[in-house]
Amino acid sequence: MSKRTKPREPWFAVGKPLSGYQAAIPMALSFVIPILIWCFAAYAPFLWHVDYRITMTSEPSDKEAFPATYVVDDTMEESFFESFQDSIRQDNKILKEQREAGTVEVASARAGRRANQKVLKNFEPVMRANGWFTTEKTEENVSAYFKAYFAATYETWGKLAAGELKPASGTLSRENLAIVKDNWALLSSVSPTYDSGNFLSEPIYRLIPEGKKVVGRPAYLPAPHEVVVRGWQDFRGESELGELNVWEKYASSLRVVISGFLLCVLIGIPLALLAGTFSFFARLFEPFTDFFRYMPAPAFGTVLMAIFGVDQQPKIALVFLGTFPQLILMVANTTRLLEQPMLDAAQTLGARKGQLVWRVVVPGILPSLYNDLRILLGWAWTWLVVAELIGTKSGLTEIIDTQGRRFHFDHVYPIILLIGLTGFLTDQVLANLRDIFFPWATEGKKSPLARLFRWVGSRVQAWRDVDPPVAPVTVEASTEGESHP
Amino acid sequence: MKLMKTMLCGALAMGLSGFAPADTLKIGYSDWPGWVAWEIGIKKGWFKEAGVDVEFEWMDYVASMEAYGAGQIDAVCMTNGDALVTGATAKPSVCIVINDYSNGNDMVVGQPGIESMKDMKGKKIALEEGFVPHLLVLKGLEAAGMSESDIEIVNTPTDETPSVLASKKVDAICAWQPSSGTALKEVEGSKPIYTSAEAPGLIYDCLFVSPETLKSNREDWVKVAKVWYKIVDFLKDEDNIDEALEILSGRVNVKPDEYEPFLDGTYIMTMEEALKVWEEGEGLKSIYGSTKISDDFNVKYEVYEKPLEIGVYLDPSITKEIAK
Repeated sequence: MSKRTKPREPWFAVGKPLSGYQAAIPMALSFVIPILIWCFAAYAPFLWHVDYRITMTSEPSDKEAFPATYVVDDTMEESFFESFQDSIRQDNKILKEQREAGTVEVASARAGRRANQKVLKNFEPVMRANGWFTTEKTEENVSAYFKAYFAATYETWGKLAAGELKPASGTLSRENLAIVKDNWALLSSVSPTYDSGNFLSEPIYRLIPEGKKVVGRPAYLPAPHEVVVRGWQDFRGESELGELNVWEKYASSLRVVISGFLLCVLIGIPLALLAGTFSFFARLFEPFTDFFRYMPAPAFGTVLMAIFGVDQQPKIALVFLGTFPQLILMVANTTRLLEQPMLDAAQTLGARKGQLVWRVVVPGILPSLYNDLRILLGWAWTWLVVAELIGTKSGLTEIIDTQGRRFHFDHVYPIILLIGLTGFLTDQVLANLRDIFFPWATEGKKSPLARLFRWVGSRVQAWRDVDPPVAPVTVEASTEGESHP
Repeated sequence: MKLMKTMLCGALAMGLSGFAPADTLKIGYSDWPGWVAWEIGIKKGWFKEAGVDVEFEWMDYVASMEAYGAGQIDAVCMTNGDALVTGATAKPSVCIVINDYSNGNDMVVGQPGIESMKDMKGKKIALEEGFVPHLLVLKGLEAAGMSESDIEIVNTPTDETPSVLASKKVDAICAWQPSSGTALKEVEGSKPIYTSAEAPGLIYDCLFVSPETLKSNREDWVKVAKVWYKIVDFLKDEDNIDEALEILSGRVNVKPDEYEPFLDGTYIMTMEEALKVWEEGEGLKSIYGSTKISDDFNVKYEVYEKPLEIGVYLDPSITKEIAK
């Protein structure tokens, strides 16, 4: 038997706190378990079917069967993907027959040119995979970018047709290489280099879509790695969906929550203190507040827009409206919890009513008030999404709402996580700060931040003790005298 | 108490500080491709160049009409039919620019197996009641020899219709792009069973301004209309297509290639074409005729009670002025 100097605490002791690593393990698990569930649901292949993720797209003429526009990275069920490919093969077959019979139709020269440009555009993944075209598209270079792209693709097709270039394996199917050769013969008959003014309007052959097998998950369940990758791209402003301005929107959301909350604090705390101290004000404010809080704040959305307009004000007003009644009731209640003897003592010493509130009540409840406000800040966050839908959709909600409705949940989850993390971290920091602000009000072990603060404090103290100030310190007259009768 | 007073004053100031100066013209616009086109003028700084101080407010379509009705914006992008509804229920407005007519982007999308409006008999359709999708569905039903009593309408905000279709709780939805496209993509095998391409001119998409601002800021609105036709010229030039797609798709955050078909479903009119539509006449070729049809529909289906005076909602003078 091993000798223990300290018996191990039981894991499941009723009403006893765990300590040390025993506390740390369940804490870590509380985060790890949900993530594991997510991973399991997303990666377990037997739960889902096989899908194809499109790596090269095309546009079938059969709009009946394929009314939507499919782009690279879209996923399709296996059978649907196969019929998608077959539809293009059919289109090409008909075109070939028409060409041989000399009956190729051109609806309009402009539409024909555009359709051919689209075929060139569809070839982009191959150009990128082989490093034949590396220019990045930015907001400034759009028109030059496409000119350069078409020119490069033209040149590449010429070289592929002549056998001067070989695509890396797996980047272009044999079938599509044959189509490229046929197309090059058609395109080069008009002009050997790309010239938008001298471009073929007669249809060229469409590229057969290519795709790779992936686990087919429902749109609302993107895999964790996809969410991480999308989040990383979106936050860095490199989203596939164009500029999402995440940080700008984040700042806007923060402004809404914080302004609404501060407004609440400014107006609510004085009222709540009065209600908590004087029964008269409690009777005056609380019954209506209690009634008002049951009316859902979002129900006032349209009214708030009619009063405050469509920008930030109605949103701040909604956060205010949703938080204010809770604040009044909560803070008033906290105020009432102040021990009666304290108030009695102050009154015995002759404190006037104003003094009673400012010198006794406020300092007395400060630690609890701080805690209330921490909880209420969390409360304010819960109104954010509803608030930002009023008038002009703004802030992070714009991304959540717009992308959610397009089923781009891989772009939605990073934003929701960002909100969650912000709230969680703010709360943790505030909870830590409480130990620093109100060391007398916390029991047991101090938080890490408070311990650091104390340690720094003690170092400074020690340093000052070594070299005490020489200047005489004048002791100011105590102001406590006021309270004496 | 002094402290409390300062706090209250501060709070009040915070609340009030947001009221913008009145001289900026506020225009509400939403995700209809014909209105997203304003984005080109915004991005290229053409409004500033024209010397007009405008602020475009990006909103959900119905929210933008609510904001206009509440008097919070000076102008809003609406369809001619919805302008009547907004006018009858909240606040009248005047059309000064006709942007486009819907040419297929508004569509009824049926679940797999639903092939035509006739298949919808006794079935559920999700759409935004009293607004443009409702009108389109009624028209579609009429064309199929049916009426509203043959179907069950589930009132749904337009941008939520794709999710509702995907949930399989309804048999069809009615929406416009990009929502209709999302629905087609998310529900494999779903297809459009009736689109605005079958009734071109039923839905004209326009810029409606408030009668007061038209009176007090007419010069500014002329400048705005001029910028619109600059945008139209830009869009009609074949060489600009990729650049235009980049700007337009960026506004609604879809991929440019996915956006391209939207341009076919929204017929953006040149000034000459718009002038023809501005001519008074019967039928869908004239905005007067089209609006009259909307008015009749709205009264018939009790969206509002009495027919409206259509003339006050339409003012061709600005388009005619800049055409000279």
